[in-house]
Amino acid sequence: MPSATLLGQALISGVLAGGLYGLLAMGLSLSWGLLRLVNLSHFALAFLAAYIVYELGTSYHVEPWWSAAMVVPLMFAIGAGQHWLFDRFKVNELASLLITFSFAVILEVAIQLYWTADFRRYETEYATRSIKAGPFYIPVLELVLCIVAGLLAWGTWLWLRRTYVGKALRAAAEDPAIAAAYGVDHKKLAYLLSGIGAAYAGIAGTFIALIATLAPAQIWAYLGVVFAVVIIGRLGNPMGALLAGMLIGASESIAMAVLSPAWAPVVSFSVLIAILLWDPEWL
Amino acid sequence: MLLEARNLHIGYGDAPAVWDVSLEVGGGEIVAVIGPNGAGKTTLINAIAGLLRCRRGELRFDGADMTRINAHAYCSHGIALVPEGRRLFAKMSVEENLELGCYLPSARSARAQSLERVYSLFPILRDKRRQPAAELSGGQQQMVAIGRALMAKPRIVLFDEPSLGLAPTVVDAMFEIIARVRADGAAVLLVEQNVLKALGIADRAYVLEQGRIVAEGLPGDLLQQPHIREAYLGV
Repeated sequence: MPSATLLGQALISGVLAGGLYGLLAMGLSLSWGLLRLVNLSHFALAFLAAYIVYELGTSYHVEPWWSAAMVVPLMFAIGAGQHWLFDRFKVNELASLLITFSFAVILEVAIQLYWTADFRRYETEYATRSIKAGPFYIPVLELVLCIVAGLLAWGTWLWLRRTYVGKALRAAAEDPAIAAAYGVDHKKLAYLLSGIGAAYAGIAGTFIALIATLAPAQIWAYLGVVFAVVIIGRLGNPMGALLAGMLIGASESIAMAVLSPAWAPVVSFSVLIAILLWDPEWL
Repeated sequence: MLLEARNLHIGYGDAPAVWDVSLEVGGGEIVAVIGPNGAGKTTLINAIAGLLRCRRGELRFDGADMTRINAHAYCSHGIALVPEGRRLFAKMSVEENLELGCYLPSARSARAQSLERVYSLFPILRDKRRQPAAELSGGQQQMVAIGRALMAKPRIVLFDEPSLGLAPTVVDAMFEIIARVRADGAAVLLVEQNVLKALGIADRAYVLEQGRIVAEGLPGDLLQQPHIREAYLGV
C-alpha cells in the first residue's frame, strides 16, 4: 500500500487531470443533451485547435493565450458550419455518430498530412511550473485549466438556467414543436449551441497543446473516457460533466498508484458501470 | 374576422386528415369544434397553431396570410396553443414553463404582470412554482398549460381537449377559466369531445366528422338537430 502522501498526491493530480476530461465532455454533453447530436469530431476539433496553438507558438512565437483568442472563435465558426450540414441533411442522433466519425477521420488525415504523424511537443515555461502546498505539488497549468473549466461550467449552467435563450434550448430539447409554438426559433439557437460546443473544444485544445504530446492518432485517446464522463455527468449538464471528469480523473490516478498504471483504462468504464448499476436519483 | 380558414386541407403523407374545412373566429368570440375521436380536430387546431403545414387552402389571422410563415412566428401574431395532453416541459419548473410562454420580446416585457395574473388565476401554482412540471397533478398541469398560453398575451387561445383526463369537478373549473380568458379580451377556439360543456360555453360551433365540417351554427340550434342529439348526446 502506498503512503498517504503518495495517495494524496495521486488524488490531487487525478482531480486536476480530470479537469481536462470535464472540459472536453462539456461541449459534447451540450450538443448531445440539447440538440440530440453526438459529435465524435469534437475530439478532432480539440486536437486541430491544439495543433494550431502549437504551430502559432513554435513557428511564430505567439503566446498560447493569444493563440487561444484566435482559435476559439475559429472553432465556433467551424462548429456552426458543421451544424449547417446537420441541418441541411436533417441528421438524427444515430446518423450524427456516423457522420461526425467520418469528420473526425478526415480531420485526423488532414492533421497528419500537414503536421505528419510525428509526436509534437510544445515546450513552454508554463509546463513545468508547480506550486508546493505542504507535502504536495500542484501543477500550475492543470490548476489554471480546472479554474477555467470551473468558470465555464458554472457560466454555462447559469446561462441555461437563467436566460431566456437557455430556457428555450432546454424546452426545445423536450418538445421542439411546442417550443416553436411559443416563438422559439430552434434552428437559430442550435447554430449558436453548436458553435459554443466547438468553441469549448478550442479551449480544451489550447490546454492539450500545453499539457500533452500531440500526435494525430491521439484524437481517439480521450474518446472512451470522455464518453463515460458525459454519461455520468448527465447529458446537457455542464457542471455534471466537470464533476464527473474530476471523479474519473481521481479514480484513474488512485488506481494507478494503488494497483498499476495498466489499470487506468479499465477505471472509467468500471465507474460508469458501477454508477449505472447503482442508478442514483441524480442520474 | 380575427381568424379565417378557407378550404383548408391538412394531412400527413398521402391521405389528408382534414378536407376542405372553412371556419371563422371573430374577436372576443368563443367558437367550439366538436366531433368524435379521430375526426381531425387536433390536426385542425395544430395547423391553426402553426405546428402542421396546410396542404391547400387559405389561413388568415387578422388579415395576415399564415400559410407561408414559419411555425415559430405564429406566436408573434397573437396565437397561443393549449395542446392536447398539456405537453409541458416536464423537467423544467412550473415557473420556467410559464416563462417560456413569454419568450417573445413583446410578451417578455410584461413578464411580471403576466406571472402575477396567472398566479392570481391559479393560486396553487404560486406555491408549486419551483417544482418540476412533471410532479403536478393532471389538473394542475392543465393550469400550467393555460397559464403558459396566457403569458404570451394572446389575441386568440386555442384549446385542444382541455377537459381530457380530468376529474369532473376540475372540468367545471376549466370551463370557467375559458370564460375568464374571453372576458379578459382574447378570442377562444375550443376543440372538445365533451359536447354538452363545449356547446354550453360557445357562441358558435362547428361539427367535424371524418375530416369535414358537417354542421355549423349556434349551439342551441345544433342541439336541436336529430343527428347531433343521436351521435353526441345519445338521445
